[in-house]
Amino acid sequence: MKWLKKWCFLILLASTGAVYLAGVNDWQVCAGPKAVVKGWFDGLASEYKNTADGSGDGEKGNRPPEGGLDGFGNMLSDGAGTWLPVNGVGGVEPPSGSGGSDLRQTSDETAEGDGMAPGDETELPEDDLPGGETPGQGADGQTDPGETGVSYVTVEDDYFADAVFIGDSRTVGMSEYGGLEGISTFYASTGLSVHKMFTAKIVPVQGQKKKITVEEALQENTFSKIYLMIGINEMGTGTVDTFMEKYESAVARLQELQPDAVIYLQGIMKVTAKRSAQGDYITNEGIEERNGRIAQLADNKKIFYLDVNEAVCDETGGMIEDYTHDGVHLKGRYIEVWKQYLKEHAVAL
Amino acid sequence: MYILYYFLRNCYVFVTADKTFLRNILLSNHPVQATIYYRERGEHDHIRSLKQSSERCEYMVFSSIEFLLFFLPLFLILYGLTPDKYKNVTLLSGSLVFYALGEPWFVFLLMLSVFINYFFGLHLGRKVKKKEKDNLQEIFDLDIEYNQRKIYKRRRRLFAAAVALNLGLLGFFKYCAPGDTIPLGISFYTFQILSYLIDLFRGEERRETSFINLATYIVMFPQLIAGPIVNYGEVREALKHREFTAAGLQEGLKVFTMGLVSKVLLADRIGLLWQEAQVAGFESISTPLAWLAAAAYSLKLYFDFYGYSLMAAGLGTMLGFELPCNFKNPYMAVSVRDFYRCWHMTLGRWFRRYVYIPLGGNRRGELRTIFNLAAVWGLTALWHGSTLNFLVWGLMLAALIITERQLARIRLPRALRLPAKALSHIYLLAVIPVTWMCFAITDTGQLRLFLGRMFGTAPGMNVNLNDWRSALENYGILFAAGFFACTPAMEKIFKRFKNHVLGMAMLAVLFWLCVWRLQVEGQNPFMYSNF
Repeated sequence: MKWLKKWCFLILLASTGAVYLAGVNDWQVCAGPKAVVKGWFDGLASEYKNTADGSGDGEKGNRPPEGGLDGFGNMLSDGAGTWLPVNGVGGVEPPSGSGGSDLRQTSDETAEGDGMAPGDETELPEDDLPGGETPGQGADGQTDPGETGVSYVTVEDDYFADAVFIGDSRTVGMSEYGGLEGISTFYASTGLSVHKMFTAKIVPVQGQKKKITVEEALQENTFSKIYLMIGINEMGTGTVDTFMEKYESAVARLQELQPDAVIYLQGIMKVTAKRSAQGDYITNEGIEERNGRIAQLADNKKIFYLDVNEAVCDETGGMIEDYTHDGVHLKGRYIEVWKQYLKEHAVAL
Repeated sequence: MYILYYFLRNCYVFVTADKTFLRNILLSNHPVQATIYYRERGEHDHIRSLKQSSERCEYMVFSSIEFLLFFLPLFLILYGLTPDKYKNVTLLSGSLVFYALGEPWFVFLLMLSVFINYFFGLHLGRKVKKKEKDNLQEIFDLDIEYNQRKIYKRRRRLFAAAVALNLGLLGFFKYCAPGDTIPLGISFYTFQILSYLIDLFRGEERRETSFINLATYIVMFPQLIAGPIVNYGEVREALKHREFTAAGLQEGLKVFTMGLVSKVLLADRIGLLWQEAQVAGFESISTPLAWLAAAAYSLKLYFDFYGYSLMAAGLGTMLGFELPCNFKNPYMAVSVRDFYRCWHMTLGRWFRRYVYIPLGGNRRGELRTIFNLAAVWGLTALWHGSTLNFLVWGLMLAALIITERQLARIRLPRALRLPAKALSHIYLLAVIPVTWMCFAITDTGQLRLFLGRMFGTAPGMNVNLNDWRSALENYGILFAAGFFACTPAMEKIFKRFKNHVLGMAMLAVLFWLCVWRLQVEGQNPFMYSNF
């Protein structure tokens, strides 16, 4: 028994550890090193095979497939202008021909090429003129954006009075620095993902301490516009397809809950090129892929697709470095740029 | 028991925290910008942003899964198995592996440095034998003084060369080397080597004849990267004879756990508020939030570094060394002078012993003292980093200390003593965060902006006037826990309960709680991309 006393702390530590590792953690801690060792092993094995075969295959890359093609599968990235029609949820019509796409490719920022969905001719290029564009025209007087052209108008802040913003931490930034406090409603929370969008308790109730879910809140209140920007938190899990599945069902649910509302699907805001190059799951290519798929959901009658990346990105294909500190979130003073973009791309109701 | 209740309550709060606690955990370039102590200090050694998640960590930190669950247990087992005679070899090799994981090339620089300084040490520590002296006296009766002078002159030149070489190396990497190519921990181990050489030169220490022992002293992993600057005298005996006992091991683990808790559960969490302020952009924060962010940074810096020092001390205890302590409740100090007697104490004593006192200390008149203080703080600033803001920080502190010295001469009437003490506490808690901002913000434009926001002189852009309310809501409990942990109460509680079964159980739970948090922040891809 004396040894029990002597080793008391170590025993307690080890037993707590055993409980934790087996129960809570499920031995996930070993997953990393196991993968590394396996990688070495595989590397060695393939090296051996190479020297045996003489073929130069090199290592098995575990990099994810290149973005841009998988998502919508058919779109060519060189702007050749031909593609097969893709059927999105909203019944996207294929464009007339190569004319529209060429226009789009040449006038847009290079990195946006893949991110454009076929049906969404309303992507206005270089949209940084201040307000005062004539309604129904492109920002720089671009002629005929396409057949299913959406005529956007420029509005003021009160347009957002009956709007709700749903999203993750970027939308939280909008709620804090967009100057729409008290005017608009925000159902946003850091870390929100499309899986938890309806079930997470993030909506504060007036006068009470508890919070309710977005689903409940949408049942109690009516809005005429819904702005949704979500999707960056899920990039580390699942695939684009699983994401889109959830996203589509979320949009459908939104339509059920608010049948009269116009839904603006906002493309996921990109990160800076530097952040994208960091080598983790957050990459601008992945974001573009998802945005392309999201854009297909727009039917331009009740569901519209807006991509603020036009306003906040530069020629590097990512967010402008000056606009952000961490490469992901806009600084407080530049939230205005985002808001201005939304104000210039409003649909007259 | 109420103390345990408080512990449990805090743990419950931490564990079931609202997502807002995890707000932007992975805001910036990478997963938790964890031990940014080094980066935020601009300690360019560690400016490669410290990444918490295991697979991205550029070098091993104590508060990472790989260290806690892989390196440390493995090392301790190997260490325990080696016979006493070779324990230093194990420790040396383990430390080199530890260092090499982060610096595959500069580990050679480290060993080269140790090697060269070993020989310097051998020469500087040489004593002229009495028999030699007698012989000289006999043969060169008249020339004895001349010979002695020659010996001393040669010794001094050797010493000057050694110091110049070490400082030159440090200066080169800190100031001249391109980009971020600073070897890890070079500022610390250079100062440690210098302390050894200077002590030898002054005759205060005896030279270390065993290369292994000297290398172990300098390269020992508990204090290699950012640990306390250990004086050779403190470990000389332990290098030769020390014991690896159950009691020592467990005692060390307990202290280590406290350090881990301080870092993972306090520093990393409070640091998020500072992150938030940066993400929002300094022009967009309100004045109350600026002060809250400064307070958050001050607490974060303290708990980060204090936690690290505790972990180092714990590791030392595990191995049988008694490493010096680095902090002594600095935020309880009554003046900036007092504060820096309790903050990073090993660095302070290094400067005092090897710069301040040789310059004359405070014994050569007031004017000279002022000069000495300015010199010491200027050098401290240069040691911390190479950008201008550090110089501003150092000189600001020098000015404050000099002013306090003058004010200390005023004798207050008895009635005013207590209110004066209370006021001085408040003064310290107001002044120190401002100095930390000069320390933290490396861009002078941004620094001016932030200070302007603090004092209301810079205009705000797009400021959300209620941002401080939500900051208090989200971080209030952390602030309270932080304030409590700044007081001596924490240490008293620790000492009181660490040998009690329940206390030990609590420590064990806390340890694995930290592991869990590290796991969650680093490995889980969902949390990982928690935007």
